[in-house]
Amino acid sequence: MHRLRNPQWILILIFLGIIASVPLIQIVIESRQDDGVRVFEVFSQAPTAANLRAYERGLETANWAAGLSRPWIHFAQFEWLEDGGEKAMFGQAGWYFYKPGLNYMLARHQSAKAPGDTNDPIAAIVDFRDQLAARGIHLLVMPVPNKESIYPDRLTLRATPLSGVMAPRTREVLDMLRAANVEVIDLFNEYGEARRQTRSTPEDSLYLAQDTHWSPAGVDLAAKAVARRLEELGWAQPGQVDYSGRSAHVQRLGDILRMMQVPMIERRMDPETVPCVQMVRSDNGELYKDAPTAEILVLGDSFMRIYQQDEPTAAGFIAHLAKELKQPLISLVNDGGGSTLVRQELRARPAFLKNRKVVLWEFVERDIGLGLEGWRLVPLPQGFGG
Amino acid sequence: MVFTTQIFVFYFLPLFLLVYYSLPFHRRNVWITLGSYIFYGWWEPWFACLMLFTTVLDFVWGKVITRPGATRVQRKFAVLACVVTNLSFLGFFKYYMFAAETLNEMLAVVGAHQFRVLQVVLPIGISFYTFHSLTYIIDLYRGHATPAKSFSMFSAFVALFPDLVAGPIIRYKTLAAQLHEREHTVSRFASGVAIFIVGFAKKILLANPCGLVADAVFNAANPCALDAWVGALAYAFQIYFDFCGYSDMAVGLGRMLGFEFLKNFDAPYRSESITDLWRRWHISLSSVLRDYLYIALGGNRKGEGRTYFNLIVVMLLGGLWHGAKWNFVLWGAFHGLLLAAERWRGKRSFYDALPRPGRIALTFLLMLFSWVLFRADNLTAATEYFRAMLGLDAVGSVAPLLGAMIYTPYHLLILALCAVLLFQPLQAHDWAQSGVTWVRTALVVPLFVLSLTAMFSQAFNPFLYFQF
Repeated sequence: MHRLRNPQWILILIFLGIIASVPLIQIVIESRQDDGVRVFEVFSQAPTAANLRAYERGLETANWAAGLSRPWIHFAQFEWLEDGGEKAMFGQAGWYFYKPGLNYMLARHQSAKAPGDTNDPIAAIVDFRDQLAARGIHLLVMPVPNKESIYPDRLTLRATPLSGVMAPRTREVLDMLRAANVEVIDLFNEYGEARRQTRSTPEDSLYLAQDTHWSPAGVDLAAKAVARRLEELGWAQPGQVDYSGRSAHVQRLGDILRMMQVPMIERRMDPETVPCVQMVRSDNGELYKDAPTAEILVLGDSFMRIYQQDEPTAAGFIAHLAKELKQPLISLVNDGGGSTLVRQELRARPAFLKNRKVVLWEFVERDIGLGLEGWRLVPLPQGFGG
Repeated sequence: MVFTTQIFVFYFLPLFLLVYYSLPFHRRNVWITLGSYIFYGWWEPWFACLMLFTTVLDFVWGKVITRPGATRVQRKFAVLACVVTNLSFLGFFKYYMFAAETLNEMLAVVGAHQFRVLQVVLPIGISFYTFHSLTYIIDLYRGHATPAKSFSMFSAFVALFPDLVAGPIIRYKTLAAQLHEREHTVSRFASGVAIFIVGFAKKILLANPCGLVADAVFNAANPCALDAWVGALAYAFQIYFDFCGYSDMAVGLGRMLGFEFLKNFDAPYRSESITDLWRRWHISLSSVLRDYLYIALGGNRKGEGRTYFNLIVVMLLGGLWHGAKWNFVLWGAFHGLLLAAERWRGKRSFYDALPRPGRIALTFLLMLFSWVLFRADNLTAATEYFRAMLGLDAVGSVAPLLGAMIYTPYHLLILALCAVLLFQPLQAHDWAQSGVTWVRTALVVPLFVLSLTAMFSQAFNPFLYFQF
């Protein structure tokens, strides 16, 4: 007992107690489950660097102490120190921003990659355009600006209000695409003009405050710009199907907050009320639906999914564009995969190209630098086309 | 393995200590060797094979040097062969690509055909364990140390995991007696725990958040002058708390195993001159460079001019030791020139007449400039960064967004805390080493729990000195 009166013994016991109890409790927890005890897996695999890294990651992910404490420390940092961890950035007046997107914006200028590089957006887009052209299909590209490109002043007071910014790499890519005669929708300009002309009420905001995505107002503006451009190019004529708008409000907790994976933050924050407009066919009152016979194929990422496949449904960009063009469209959407994955999906489902005249390809600005799987050249199968 | 990872703290360390203290003393060095090879091989198992190979080689060379009846010529040949062998390994793994790429650039200038450059993976810590071995061989040759009694003792010295991958650089003669016999006491173990926790907290709670700020600014295109200064400051804090934290953890772990390592940092940012700084920063490297390179070059015994030359050469090589990039060479040259200039003034700085706070501030300012060379990806990036610090370039259109990334309450709090801790006189290492009391226990235990929980939540956890 006299040892317990000695601070040296107490410090040693507490230290050893902490470092030994965490793995011991982990072993007890896992031994009660069917999957086996993870720590012993090291003996059942070859000791290669890759196996050891995977084993270590597995232990870290499964650690009960980490699982228990991580949300609390994230919550404390979020609540008291306005720190959103790896994913979120605090902006002004309840706005949040996606940190990896901001990292892309700020990154030091990098020259375009060498020809043939598997991560060169210019090469991938031009190659895709040429493959489609060989099948008689036009390509219209639509990079959606990062939220901070349009609303830098909602991120930091140092930015000039109502003046958008463009990342050096984005500017370079857009210039090179134009030089390569790729048709590009310039939403940077459209949104910039819209911000200057409209009041700054929440309804007018082109992006959601807590989310990486655009608002219904942003959707509507983009759809109008695309429809206008398609008609100017003569690639699409107004169809015969009338759609009318139907108001539908949804409650949405922004994906930036959800990506932090901290239940306390999700409980603590009020969801945004988003005033959506669902598109309804005027002739039969049905909500907008894709049509397999459509002339226009839309490829894209979660910007194509929001309000369209998510609630309230039929209120996203695709439905709005259908209204503007008076015709249903067909779409292929891959969350986070606007750069390469959606084209790989198209290759796997070549029937999506049959009888199409136009492909509209949407990806978010940050994917220029951060796209999943980079920017691979994706050869399309022969024999399908418009 | 990295000290601030779950695999080390919750699996390796408790298991290592359990076996270590279960074994009789004469078996503990063998366990240190085995455990250290597991620790080291965890990154890449073949790294451990390379270390074993050079360890065997150095042990044999040591035997040749101290062989009874060996002539002076034989001993000289043996030490030269050993130094050349060790430096060849280090040169190939660390400098081959740098040399080959530089040569290719020169060939490109004259329009000659360039050759293919092999992609060589740098074994972590090779600079440190090569220096460990070299101090052994050179000390044997000079008669400053006696040869290791057994291979297990020598391999335990080379592989000793606390100081294996990022120092401090401990010489064989310092550790030889402890490898043979060392005291395992409660007070030493407890103070080791306290120092380890302090180092752990420095790394997790201070260095990592500072690193986020530094990385954001150094990776940004055309930052404004204020942001560039804050980025350089954050890097100065990061590299100190990162490396000093690692050294503290090494010292603490050493104490848990009964070893006494020397302090590697002594409040370096409170230095009053560059000469003073190099007595306080990475003390073990400075003293190895002094004793094994500067003195070998003649030190200050061959006249004033040669002394300045030696100082510059030693710092140039010290810079190159940190990494195979021109940045490091320039960084070394910058410090070498400043040291030579201060030597010329009788080991006094140019701002010696200023009051002490002014001397400290100017020394820190010089250090800050040199850290830009150290941190920038290449010389072009370093030049751009200096221009940004001096406000010579137009600020990029997205540069205002950088403020949102770096001036958060969290980062400002950490930067302020770092500044206070760095410039106040009480050093955490000394505080933790001077005996474990109830008050200290009450402070370090919550600090450890806080650091662990912060470690669980951090995805950014690099160790800067591993790359060296």
